[in-house]
Amino acid sequence: MEKILEVKDLELSFHTFAGEVKAIRGVNFDLLKGETLAIVGESGSGKSVTTKSIMRLLPEHSSEFKNGQILFNGKDLTKLTDREMQKIRGKDISMIFQDPMTSLNPTMPIGKQIMEPILKHRNVSKSVAHKEAVDLLRLVGMPKPEARMKQYPHQFSGGQRQRIVIAIALACNPQVLIADEPTTALDVTIQAQILELMKDLQKKINTSIIFITHDLGVVANVADRVAVMYGGKIVEIGTVDEIFYNPQHPYTWGLLSSMPSLDTAEEKLYAIPGTPPDLLSPPKGDAFALRSDYAMKIDLEEVPPFFKVSDTHYAATWLLHPDAPQVDPPLAIRERMKKYPGSRYYEGTEGGTY
Amino acid sequence: MAEKLLEIKNLKQYFNQGKPNEVRAVDDISFDIYKGETLGLVGESGCGKSTTGRTIIRLYDATDGQVIYDGVNVHDKKSKKDLKEFNRKMQMIFQDPYASLNPRMKVLDIIAEGLDIHGLVKNPKERKEKVVELLETVGLNREHADRYAHEFSGGQRQRLGIARALAVNPEFIIADEPISALDVSIQAQVVNLLKELQEEKGLTYLFIAHDLSMVKYISDRIGVMYFGKLVELATAEELYANPMHPYTQSLLSAIPLPDPDYERTRVRKSYDPANHNYQDGEEIAMREVTPGHFVYCSEKELESLRAISSSK
Ligand SMILES: Nc1ncnc2c1ncn2[C@@H]1O[C@H](COP(=O)(O)OP(=O)(O)O)[C@@H](O)[C@H]1O
Ligand SMILES: Nc1ncnc2c1ncn2[C@@H]1O[C@H](COP(=O)(O)OP(=O)(O)O)[C@@H](O)[C@H]1O
Ligand SMILES: [Mg+2]
Ligand SMILES: [Mg+2]
Repeated sequence: MEKILEVKDLELSFHTFAGEVKAIRGVNFDLLKGETLAIVGESGSGKSVTTKSIMRLLPEHSSEFKNGQILFNGKDLTKLTDREMQKIRGKDISMIFQDPMTSLNPTMPIGKQIMEPILKHRNVSKSVAHKEAVDLLRLVGMPKPEARMKQYPHQFSGGQRQRIVIAIALACNPQVLIADEPTTALDVTIQAQILELMKDLQKKINTSIIFITHDLGVVANVADRVAVMYGGKIVEIGTVDEIFYNPQHPYTWGLLSSMPSLDTAEEKLYAIPGTPPDLLSPPKGDAFALRSDYAMKIDLEEVPPFFKVSDTHYAATWLLHPDAPQVDPPLAIRERMKKYPGSRYYEGTEGGTY
Repeated sequence: MAEKLLEIKNLKQYFNQGKPNEVRAVDDISFDIYKGETLGLVGESGCGKSTTGRTIIRLYDATDGQVIYDGVNVHDKKSKKDLKEFNRKMQMIFQDPYASLNPRMKVLDIIAEGLDIHGLVKNPKERKEKVVELLETVGLNREHADRYAHEFSGGQRQRLGIARALAVNPEFIIADEPISALDVSIQAQVVNLLKELQEEKGLTYLFIAHDLSMVKYISDRIGVMYFGKLVELATAEELYANPMHPYTQSLLSAIPLPDPDYERTRVRKSYDPANHNYQDGEEIAMREVTPGHFVYCSEKELESLRAISSSK
């Protein structure tokens, strides 16, 4: 499939009073046309910084781009001038955040805010922009769109505001939409509506979506592929089925085990012990080793490279090295693997892979 | 059957009563909480969960109804001494551990506040030792006592909130969305801690949440609220296996689970209150459909719910 975005060897630091925070420590991934790539990981793992660096939204005085390329349709975004970047932001790549109020202007009617990117990026008249804004509001499921154009953000509920932000983000049919925890603050029923809306719209305009969330239920719902981040790196990447039914990295195991499943009555939840790594002085080797029951000596010394599990599935753990001892993942993970043809715990009879 | 610790009877909490902007945040709800259990309370934001908790713990005076704690009406006038004792027995943990902790105070003083108010320690040495013991109980340590709340991560702050609530040896804790702001792996740590403490100290919890998978895990029974009303109450297992009120069904059908196969086939139900088609004069009330499973419904709905569940 066609690659629309390629992030290569991205390294980025923040300079703070305490010293250099190595927030992104070598991140690589591709985004394919029309797909949804979910990025998961605990807070501080670098999800937002990764995507903000694509949008070039990081504070210039404190952030330092240290290495890498971000290729968008073959163009390296890190090399563009601010003016060139402004032409891309909101037009070819747009972004929505957890709190819709960070993107909305409280003192401007919402209709005007939806018209803004249309007028800025496309050569159309005000009346055309107005009509398109109304259509967009209708598209995101706003009742009586015409009448609501003149209203202000505070006159809408949280779910409706997120719909408005989506309308603005989609105003120029972007090729890439980055959604950073867009439903985290919403109730489950509203969340379900917004997720359905995003999937619907994606089909209509064939946008590629990077979807950041820490809710694994949401990931299972929206993602085609999943990247798992830990301590400023991607530690595992694969299709949604590969990550949920055949995970390989001990951090992915921990993440998947710490959610209670609705159908079993576990006595105790698995909780990953300890705290996330301090990025002022990141640990040597595998950053997760200090919290992992599966750590080996080499994990404390050398950074594991990506090992290939399938053409679409890679994990950075020494456990996949041919010389590593074979270990059994936690019980909850083995249960998941039983469903997956191609895993060594597969219990079904059907051949081949998904 | 276990002993009742609390009886909530026809509790109402109306804000701005009689004015055009009146909000019936809690509208005539009744339920019991048994000693040593965890009762989960779920529902969408604005349905009245926090107001219920706050009225039970007397942060608000009730508009009407009763909260009976160990046989005593909470909202009746009391002597200063009884009031103080009552405040000690019931504690609350909040969603935002940061907002509920004074950033200018040292952890030592934050946690010792309750000890001081209730005269539970005799001298500074005992005070410090008690605080260290509490910190260790919640998985922190002695060194943390001299730090300020802002130096802690979200999960650690929630542990401080729990330590502070535990300081006065409460019997009953209202936890209002204590894990909603935390990462999944940290949520698991806090939930495990709450469960351990319950077993050790025989605590009773009212656990308010909008995340439905954690709530099932921690609760013995669960109540579902919708616009100020309790619409369903059952054991956790039963509620998820046999949701009966159409609102509960809609809520459960909206939760995404970490299972892509399940997600590909999940069908979401929506709830429209108009579908009940209640007639004028029909009495809608909490009715027991099967033993221990209560649904807010009409006499007619009760009959059909019973018919459905006996045919299963
Ligand atoms: N403006 C900033 N200045 C200093 N450090 C920052 C800044 N923004 C983010 N960081 C740090 O970078 C790391 C990654 O943050 P982020 O990408 O926001 O994490 P998340 O995965 O929760 O989105 C964290 O350690 C965070 O503290
Ligand atoms: N102090 C108050 N004054 C007026 N209305 C309030 C007050 N507190 C809550 N409400 C309203 O009462 C209803 C229930 O709120 P709340 O109990 O906070 O819901 P939940 O905790 O379920 O999200 C909401 O409509 C809310 O706006
Ligand atoms: Mg973030
Ligand atoms: Mg609340």
